[in-house]
Amino acid sequence: METIPLQQETEDYSFLPLIHDIIKWCETFDVLRMDKDSPDVHQELNKLKTKIQETREQILAMPGIETNLEQQQQQLQTLTEQVHTKNQLLHKYKGLCMFDIPKA
Amino acid sequence: MRSARSDANMAASEKSTKERLLSTLDDLEVLSRELIEMLALSRSQKPPQSGEDNQVLELLVQRDGEFQQLMLQAVEQGRLQQEMLGLDKELEKRDSDIQQLQKQLKEAEHILATAVYQAKEKLKSIEKARKGSISSEEIIKYAHRISASNAVCAPLNWVPGDPRRPYPTDLEMRSGMLGQMNNPSNNGNVNGHLPGDALAAGRLPDILTSQYLWQSTDVSMGMLPPHHGNEFGPGHNKENEDDVEAMSTDTSSSSSDSD
Repeated sequence: METIPLQQETEDYSFLPLIHDIIKWCETFDVLRMDKDSPDVHQELNKLKTKIQETREQILAMPGIETNLEQQQQQLQTLTEQVHTKNQLLHKYKGLCMFDIPKA
Repeated sequence: MRSARSDANMAASEKSTKERLLSTLDDLEVLSRELIEMLALSRSQKPPQSGEDNQVLELLVQRDGEFQQLMLQAVEQGRLQQEMLGLDKELEKRDSDIQQLQKQLKEAEHILATAVYQAKEKLKSIEKARKGSISSEEIIKYAHRISASNAVCAPLNWVPGDPRRPYPTDLEMRSGMLGQMNNPSNNGNVNGHLPGDALAAGRLPDILTSQYLWQSTDVSMGMLPPHHGNEFGPGHNKENEDDVEAMSTDTSSSSSDSD
């Protein structure tokens, strides 16, 4: 079940299907009419161009990829340790009571 | 060869994911364009050049695979980024809690320091009082002595109109050293002596003895010389009152204004 969404994701990011369609179109085209200036070819080419541009914009908008994975994991670990340390400090200071306060 | 590859890998790993994605995408664009152009040329030209096509195709497939892996990694990094944002918010909250605690601790320290200081001062005062302690009887006796002359409270029988005053009047001042300095006729009698001393020595004129009867008749013996203690008995009061009344009629006297 987990592999299916993964495959779908990889297919979304792959350009091979579009390139395959263009190549296929070129081959069939050539066999039938020897005319490479058909609007359908340009349409397929535009599709590819558009997809590349959209993917580029998507990459620029994606958060958290300014560093590589290892650095990010290190930052995450550092943050986790800081949170843990501060939690311990707070727990220690809030529980620190040296005086016997009589309950009213 | 291996070192070159490892260097390339190192360089690739140091680059951010965004840079690698954009670079791979650019490669894909270039390769796909090249492949399409080669295909278009190969159709127009008679001998097909499949070797170069295959190479470009293989590179394209490889780059596409890399690109997909990088996109998956980018998605994972996006998820980690969300987690890090959550941790950042928690850290901010913890920081503000710590700052709040710090403020409260400083306040408590200040209050405690003030309290300790005040307590130490009080202990010092207590110690000082203990060292110079006086019995209550002595204090009461002293209080009686200083209030015997009616300087702190009017006599019980004092009424408005009574010329008696708790301070020296004009006549008393004039009969003193400074007053006698301007009056050469009396210099021989009281020169160099205070009225009190002259009174004690029995040299002061009788008219002036009445000036001191603004003091209470029940003055304690400790205030006056012992052998003159009876001179201010009740029998002298009427004369003194007359003299005081005479004194009070003196319009030049500013201190005898009766109410």
